[in-house]
Amino acid sequence: MIPSDHFPRFYNEVFKFLERQGEDVLKDYWLEISKNQERHVLDLFGEKGLEGMEEYWTHIRDEENCDLDLRRDEGMLELRMHKCPSLSKVLDNDAAPMGRYCDHCAGWIGPIMDKLGYHLVYDVVDRTKPQCVMRVFTDERRARAAEKYTKLLMDWPGKKTT
Amino acid sequence: MSEDKPLRYQETGNIHLDFHGAVNTTIDFVVERFGLEVLDEIFERVGKDVYADIRAHLMAGNAEELVRHWRYFFERERADFGIEANDEEIVLIVHRCPAYQHAKKIAPKVSAHFCDQTIKVNQAMAEGTPFAIDTEITGEGSCRQVIRKRR
Repeated sequence: MIPSDHFPRFYNEVFKFLERQGEDVLKDYWLEISKNQERHVLDLFGEKGLEGMEEYWTHIRDEENCDLDLRRDEGMLELRMHKCPSLSKVLDNDAAPMGRYCDHCAGWIGPIMDKLGYHLVYDVVDRTKPQCVMRVFTDERRARAAEKYTKLLMDWPGKKTT
Repeated sequence: MSEDKPLRYQETGNIHLDFHGAVNTTIDFVVERFGLEVLDEIFERVGKDVYADIRAHLMAGNAEELVRHWRYFFERERADFGIEANDEEIVLIVHRCPAYQHAKKIAPKVSAHFCDQTIKVNQAMAEGTPFAIDTEITGEGSCRQVIRKRR
């Protein structure tokens, strides 16, 4: 058994292999993970919207020991990660980190938000630091405006660009 | 070996068992796209690179660090398991594997290669060391993992 605690370090090895096969392969994998995650979140997000998302990431914050803040207003949920346990483990690792490890989060979340009609703005800020800011908007114009203030805006499979 | 020294990857706090479901998805994705050899290759990197510290202990003739790792993480995930040792071997007996059971609970189907994570990582950690680690799958979510000195 690879302990669940060590999953990010296994994930990191998978990413390194897939990245060597090409960008499309890596994106296909994120889509596969996204489909897997749909089983856990699609109904919740679909039925309860931003409130359901807050509920999910509150659960994740606790189970995965994340240092993060969640803030929600009428049309937006913001997740501000102060210390990501996943990237922290990948950096505290006897194996080399994959340089774009952070990209997988938007890689699985983005397609789900697209499917449900929400607008994701994912700012990784710096791939070498376990911090990021994720915002989900109900209004596309608000999302596009928020993109202008990001430092390292993430892409994902099928993302619409304007 | 000091029992007080933390493991290389000592983890505390809550656990997120759903990661076992993501391992299951990943195994099937890799096997379907690239074949079993590539899955083995990835697990080999986990055994040799991620668990380099356990491997270094095995190289130095110390299997106790691996036993500490087993005990710590199987207890953390509330497995039903036991560890027995005699002059010849150290045996981890897993009666109920939390990884397998959780994957079974949340995934549509547990991959036929799910237990390769154990078999192949054990092999990779032991390769080139004075020890062999053999994994025998004894049932659905149960196994015996045996550390022996190579002859």
